[in-house]
Amino acid sequence: MTVNTVRAAAIASPATRKGPKRWYHHATGRQAALINVLLTIGAVTMLVPFVWMVLTSLKSPAELAQFPPTVLPQEWMFSNYAATLDAAPFGTYFRNSLIIASTHTIITIALGSLAGYALARVYFRGREAIFLAFVAMLMIPTYTKIVPQFLLVKFMPLFGGNDIFGQGGIGWLNSWWALIIPGGLSASAIFLFRQFYLSLPKDLEEAARLDGLGEFRIYAQIYTPLIKPAIATVGLLTFQDSWNNFLWPLLVTTSADLRVIQVGLAVFQQLDNTQWQYLMAGTTMATVPMVLLFIFAQKYFIQGFTNAGIK
Amino acid sequence: MTTTDRHPVQSDSAPPTGMSVKKLPKRAGHISIAEKRRRRAGWLMITPSVIHVGLWTAIPVLATFYLSFTDYNIFDAPNWIWLDNYIEMFQDPVFVQSIWNTIWYTFWTVPVAMAVAVVVAVLLNQGLKMQKFYRTAFFVPQVTATVAIAMVWLWIFNPQYGLLNAALESIGLPGQAWLVDPTWALPSVILVGAWQGIGIKMLIYIAALQNIDESLYEAASLDGASSIRKFFSITVPMLKPATFFVFIISIIGAFQVFDQIYVLTDGGPANATTMMTYEVYRSAFQEFRMGMAAAQSVVLFAFLLFVTLISRRATKEED
Repeated sequence: MTVNTVRAAAIASPATRKGPKRWYHHATGRQAALINVLLTIGAVTMLVPFVWMVLTSLKSPAELAQFPPTVLPQEWMFSNYAATLDAAPFGTYFRNSLIIASTHTIITIALGSLAGYALARVYFRGREAIFLAFVAMLMIPTYTKIVPQFLLVKFMPLFGGNDIFGQGGIGWLNSWWALIIPGGLSASAIFLFRQFYLSLPKDLEEAARLDGLGEFRIYAQIYTPLIKPAIATVGLLTFQDSWNNFLWPLLVTTSADLRVIQVGLAVFQQLDNTQWQYLMAGTTMATVPMVLLFIFAQKYFIQGFTNAGIK
Repeated sequence: MTTTDRHPVQSDSAPPTGMSVKKLPKRAGHISIAEKRRRRAGWLMITPSVIHVGLWTAIPVLATFYLSFTDYNIFDAPNWIWLDNYIEMFQDPVFVQSIWNTIWYTFWTVPVAMAVAVVVAVLLNQGLKMQKFYRTAFFVPQVTATVAIAMVWLWIFNPQYGLLNAALESIGLPGQAWLVDPTWALPSVILVGAWQGIGIKMLIYIAALQNIDESLYEAASLDGASSIRKFFSITVPMLKPATFFVFIISIIGAFQVFDQIYVLTDGGPANATTMMTYEVYRSAFQEFRMGMAAAQSVVLFAFLLFVTLISRRATKEED
């Protein structure tokens, strides 16, 4: 995963504390007009590539060979999308990405919240050591673990033709295991969950314990329902991270059946680098789900990103 | 316990500071059966995560350090060669260039983009009607996949049919070969990186701006301070903690730039855009020199650790 965060600093930083919205200064009149002009130029710069992507995906090859390029398609080629699905198995790629991102999200929420709860609310021997170890893991860049991760996958004993010592076969390479298990959980998700559980009051658990509830029921029935927004935040960030991940699936898969959409795009571009209308149609398919998810769940994304810098 | 209060989340206690852990109750010999059960439950809850993080993060990090002192091609057993990998990489002009490229890329996509982001954040914080739209527009590149969006830029930078050259020629400037021109390749990659990264920086600055006490500005207004003056004497100092945070996460992100290099330039032309991460990738997965790749990734890690410690110290000393 490409998560590399200094969430400790994030959460300790006053920048992340939510305060009431206070617009300290309302711009008016000419000043507001000037600011609007500046921000519009900025916003257009940010959005032009997306608009260009969609417009290109709807043009004919002949039109794309014109210079200077036309802005709107002379003929709106919606059939490009169907042709793209014929040119490369983008449907399969899309499905694979969806399966992997969803599984990562489910595993992260289930295991991450359990671990976060235990670190925040249960006293047990070794807890401090485990917590500090997790914090240390937050600092590790992806590239400082990727080589051994690849070797672990390759030499996974008793899988993919490997013997008990991991020799002789390909291990988890070219399998769902490699795509799903290593990226299924991150120290940063555990850390975020711990922070959310810590912010809840203690009297709830004391009352529950007096009533004789077991720890797992206190977790499932009392505390976890109270952090639903946090679950949405961590879940969305995990989904986005997994959907956008490129390097790991590139390394561990070669078969087209297991290819995710980001790798599928790169392969398509290398094989067929002149068919821009298809490439842009594929790119649109790879970006639109995240853009829509972001627009509809903006609140949770923004909360997550201000609490935890990603990428 | 069905009468759980639904709004106790807003507890009055101070927000968690992250690092403190309460001590275990002492006198472990006197714990009750219920307490024992709780501790066992705690262990059960955390075990899957400990195994996962241990296997996929802790062991790999240790293995990286070990492998960095070996010569290892996957097929034969690792061969201990002391510091040979480190010595070789600093004599390798391509790796040295990748360090400079990474630093240059970081300089433009971190401090310079941060300066742009803080201006955008301040403008966005003026209570405009359209501010939600602007915020979304600036942030959308951040949530889209780098690979996908780099494809679009590849098309925009296309020397023959690209939008960028068309735009330049329409205002009378000459087009360039961008990604295939050694002079322009790195600036082009930097443009994409900065474009994509402005959103997150802006967002953190907006959150920080909303926490600045309004009365500071009111007092300054009474004293007749201008907007520019208020920006430099109130806004900038108050944004220091946020600046530190943005700086660190952006540096970590910039040093790990990979996807857009893979799509846009493949490290070329003539290694003009190769990065440290790209050399790790090449050593490991094109040349199958796992030991060398591990050593290069240790150097990458050392750079990040160094920058983090220096900037943390710098922020602390001033306080």
